Amino acid sequence: MNSIGYAVAEALVSLRRSGRSAAISIGTIAIAFLTLGGFLLVSANLQSLVERWASSAELSVYLREDVNDTWRQALVDELSDHAAVAAVEYVSKAAALERFRGDFPELADVAASADNPFPPSIEVRLHTDAASSGAADAMAAGLTEREGVVDVRYDREWLSRLRAIIGAIRLVGATAAAVLILGAAFTVAAVVRLSLQARREEVDIMQLVGAPFSFIRGPSIAEGTILGGLGALFSLIVLWALFASTREQLTAAVAQWGNVETLRFLAVPDALLLVGSGLAVGGLAGLVASRGSR
Amino acid sequence: MIETHGLGKAYGRGLYALRDLTLTVERGEFVFLTGPSGAGKSTLLRLLLLQERPTEGVAIVNGRNLVRMSHREVQAYRRSVGFVFQDFKLVPSKTVFENVSFALRVLGTNIEQQRRRTYQVLKWVGLQHRLQAYPLELSGGEQQRVAIARALVNEPQLVLADEPTGNLDPDLSLEIMNLFRDINSSGTTVLVATHDRELIKWVGRRTVHLENGRLLEAEAGATT
Repeated sequence: MNSIGYAVAEALVSLRRSGRSAAISIGTIAIAFLTLGGFLLVSANLQSLVERWASSAELSVYLREDVNDTWRQALVDELSDHAAVAAVEYVSKAAALERFRGDFPELADVAASADNPFPPSIEVRLHTDAASSGAADAMAAGLTEREGVVDVRYDREWLSRLRAIIGAIRLVGATAAAVLILGAAFTVAAVVRLSLQARREEVDIMQLVGAPFSFIRGPSIAEGTILGGLGALFSLIVLWALFASTREQLTAAVAQWGNVETLRFLAVPDALLLVGSGLAVGGLAGLVASRGSR
Repeated sequence: MIETHGLGKAYGRGLYALRDLTLTVERGEFVFLTGPSGAGKSTLLRLLLLQERPTEGVAIVNGRNLVRMSHREVQAYRRSVGFVFQDFKLVPSKTVFENVSFALRVLGTNIEQQRRRTYQVLKWVGLQHRLQAYPLELSGGEQQRVAIARALVNEPQLVLADEPTGNLDPDLSLEIMNLFRDINSSGTTVLVATHDRELIKWVGRRTVHLENGRLLEAEAGATT
């Protein structure tokens, strides 16, 4: 505790002394972590959107008009018992026409003037994990081959593609952030090294009085940790401010693509991880910078 | 207390700062190292403080072989040795009190003891009224007394001093030497490097002469 207290006190004195270079160092760390946090925020919200879309996944089975009630009921029962299925609803020709009229009242005349063009169908609502596990694809393929089935609509490939895009965004974000964080770590190391040079005489004297490792290198590690932590914290504050100021516009924009109530900021564990990473990167930079000073 | 056998320090090919030094200093002794500039006095002290490693021979201090020490052992060893340099080596950004108490702090001594012991030793060197002063606010003699206080605060068995009066006028030099005599009278071994023959004569202790990195002679001095 004695050496930790000493290290922190010396680090604070050193930071006050370094002034502008410490501010620059905090700024570079903040930019790096803002990039990482930004990508995390985008990918987390996209992921949430995709999960919401996936949870509402439906499969429509269009039937021939001449299928009898027994055959149809047998298919409904079979689908209801399937593990991937959450709910099943039969939609007759008349019900389909009624639904069309309700959804498109401006086209009511068109619907009234012709024979009912809508085929009977079975609408199948799937469990959330059915789409990702491939069970829904297998079911759709199997139904297509049934004799009384005209068509099966299950176009969820785009969900898989979107998931792949989210994965790619995460990868690009992580790579960009890693490069920026490495650069920021070098800046922190340079600032700590400069501070170390400023107290070179003091370090030499500490060595002569037999000060242990924790006293000699501790202040440098503490200085790096404080710089990294402040940078990451600052990035989190800026990210939150940006998010809060654009939240409504972003939510409105994303709402066009689906049922989006509101966009969310980073979860607490993610925010803590961000600040923790800043502390760790800074501490490591301080440790590396103080090498050779023992 | 100190034993060296064939101790040497070479820089580059055949350039010796110290060569084939065999010397024994008994526990509780006060010994002067003397000789002209470049004789090897400071090199010997640097080797004994492990600021440099010898290239030849053996050095044993208080039963510990200095040649084979790890970094951690070096730091532990240094905590048992007090040192005083010509240029004082005080931290300018720390007060007199902090400069002295730091030597105790690194030992893990509790704060109350740090305060008590630091005050005692600063009082002993006559600086109890300058506790909060910074080194640059002190005279040369006062700065050297702070350095002596720091060397003594953790009660070392051995005190090494390299030209401790080199920057001081004759009166202050005598004052500082009196402090070293007092330190020695309490049983601490003292090794002082100086080229001030008048001072050596005045203190009158055993003197080891070095020249060109070699031991010329050792003579016993009268105790005053």
